[in-house]
Amino acid sequence: MTEDPLMSPEPVNLPPDLRALARSGCGVAVGSCGPDGTPLLGLGGGCRIDAAGRVRVLLPRGPNLALLAALEGGAPIAVTFTATRDHSSFQTKAQVAQICRVCSDDLPEMDRQMALFQDGLVEIGYSRLQASGYCAHQRTDLVALEFFPEHVFIQTPGPGAGTELGV
Amino acid sequence: MTALCLDGLRSALEGVIASVLATCDAEGTPNVSMISQVHYAGPEEVALSYQFFNKTRRNIMETRRATVLVTDPETLAHYRLSLRYEDTRTDGPLFESMKAKLAGIASHHGVEDVFRLLGADVFRVEKIEVMAAPVSAPPPNRPSLLAATRRTCARLAACEELEDLFDELTGGLAEDFGIGWSMVLISEPGTRRLYTVATRGYPVTGVGAEVAPGEGVIGVAARENAPIRIGHMTRDYRYGAAISDVARRSGLFCDVPRLIPFPGLAAPRSQIALPITECGKVVGVLFAESDEINRFGYEEEDALALVAGQLGARMTLLRQEGMVEPAELPALAPATQGEVTVRYFEIDQSVFFDGDYLIKGVAGAILWKILREHDARGRTEFTTRELRLDPGLRLPAQSENLDARLILLRKRLDERCDCLKIEKAGRGRFRLLPGCRLILEEPDAISPPA
Repeated sequence: MTEDPLMSPEPVNLPPDLRALARSGCGVAVGSCGPDGTPLLGLGGGCRIDAAGRVRVLLPRGPNLALLAALEGGAPIAVTFTATRDHSSFQTKAQVAQICRVCSDDLPEMDRQMALFQDGLVEIGYSRLQASGYCAHQRTDLVALEFFPEHVFIQTPGPGAGTELGV
Repeated sequence: MTALCLDGLRSALEGVIASVLATCDAEGTPNVSMISQVHYAGPEEVALSYQFFNKTRRNIMETRRATVLVTDPETLAHYRLSLRYEDTRTDGPLFESMKAKLAGIASHHGVEDVFRLLGADVFRVEKIEVMAAPVSAPPPNRPSLLAATRRTCARLAACEELEDLFDELTGGLAEDFGIGWSMVLISEPGTRRLYTVATRGYPVTGVGAEVAPGEGVIGVAARENAPIRIGHMTRDYRYGAAISDVARRSGLFCDVPRLIPFPGLAAPRSQIALPITECGKVVGVLFAESDEINRFGYEEEDALALVAGQLGARMTLLRQEGMVEPAELPALAPATQGEVTVRYFEIDQSVFFDGDYLIKGVAGAILWKILREHDARGRTEFTTRELRLDPGLRLPAQSENLDARLILLRKRLDERCDCLKIEKAGRGRFRLLPGCRLILEEPDAISPPA
């Protein structure tokens, strides 16, 4: 991972259960805000979290140019992690994220998580072909986004969705 | 609008897993959440369900903008839709349809209150982007839904009897649409309970099985007079389960969720329920299910709605024709071989043959009436007209569905009873065929039967 930590006034270290969920092969959705206020949204693939609490998610570049440009320009980031099997979910937010090159450590972990994600899709009724198609990424087109979560929200659907952790 | 048309994306609106929605507040802070429904609301509009006043809802009210990601479950193409909020509807067909689907899912979890739809937020689709191109082609040789609809409607138009109508309908669904499991249920006007009069594809017919109003997708479709389609039951139920688990932990309710009480596929992946109406009033439900995910999409819903409409119109016509005074036919001499005790309980109009339950409700009362007529006067021929005019049966003046009850009664006798049959004896007439001596008892009657 990048040596230079992203500066964050009060980073939140994710509790073990949410770290486990984020790395369990769940759906990863990345959001930001365009210069004109447009909500920007992309689908990530794979997540790593280091001991310092830094979150690193992979994202295909091609379909997400506007999102990456916004993040590069200093727009805030929101990332939601969702388990396929039971929809348990949480959202992290940070004021700033850094765009990095994918490194050699990323791809095996992404492959592992994508395999779990596909297993989840098969479990809920999709064919293996459909599951692999859903997760298809151009490996050469991936970038990594790094950030320290400043806010964490429980996002599991229902009346409690949006409750901030530790507040 | 963009070059891509929303009509071509209707299957993508079904989604693979829950769709993802991004909004921003006025300061530009993004929020990403899952949503249960992206509902097609027209060629340039979608509707999202408004169930809770949460951050997403606040952002939408502040900025009126949202972005949603949807995935076509067949081609696995991802699409990104840029949305602009227009209005929130709290009534009308769009709201009722979304509410019915939500209620259908909730009914299986026993969490109707938590799943309550507060509104249908309608958005104009300003831009559609292809994020990831299709990775698989749609299935080849897909049958033409228009052709299947036309053939099935033609089958219905040729029916002269109500029973044939139901059987041709389920036959048409199987042979023209390739839908292997289907049922027709008719509504009891007084209680509004639905009872099954025809099924196809199941190991047991399930005729006579009942569904309460608001119970499951069938009961909700009838109550709301709106079609309900669940394309991926596991996903939808899991989404519902996620909500209900949270609601239970929050103390919103503590009851055990109900299981599907209706016989059918043990593990269906898709279900569709469409109201059958006569003059706008719900008289029954056409129900189909499948072990495939996403078996019933928007296109199938539209096609089956046309078929259900044709069924309702034919039912009306046949009932009106059935009101015509029938010709009298001579009675046949009943066969007598052995004996069976038939017991009738007025409290719920239930009928038992040698202690085995046969039927209850109005169909039970009809059976008891004609058995008493047969016992007292030796009659075996009856007309639907005399039943309609019998004050003892307390049939409502309109939409009493008498013919459907007779079909139910005949099928129950065929399935459960060797000693008594009922058969059609012409339009508006039917014949009682006892195969043994029938001893009638009415244990809870003030005086014994004549």
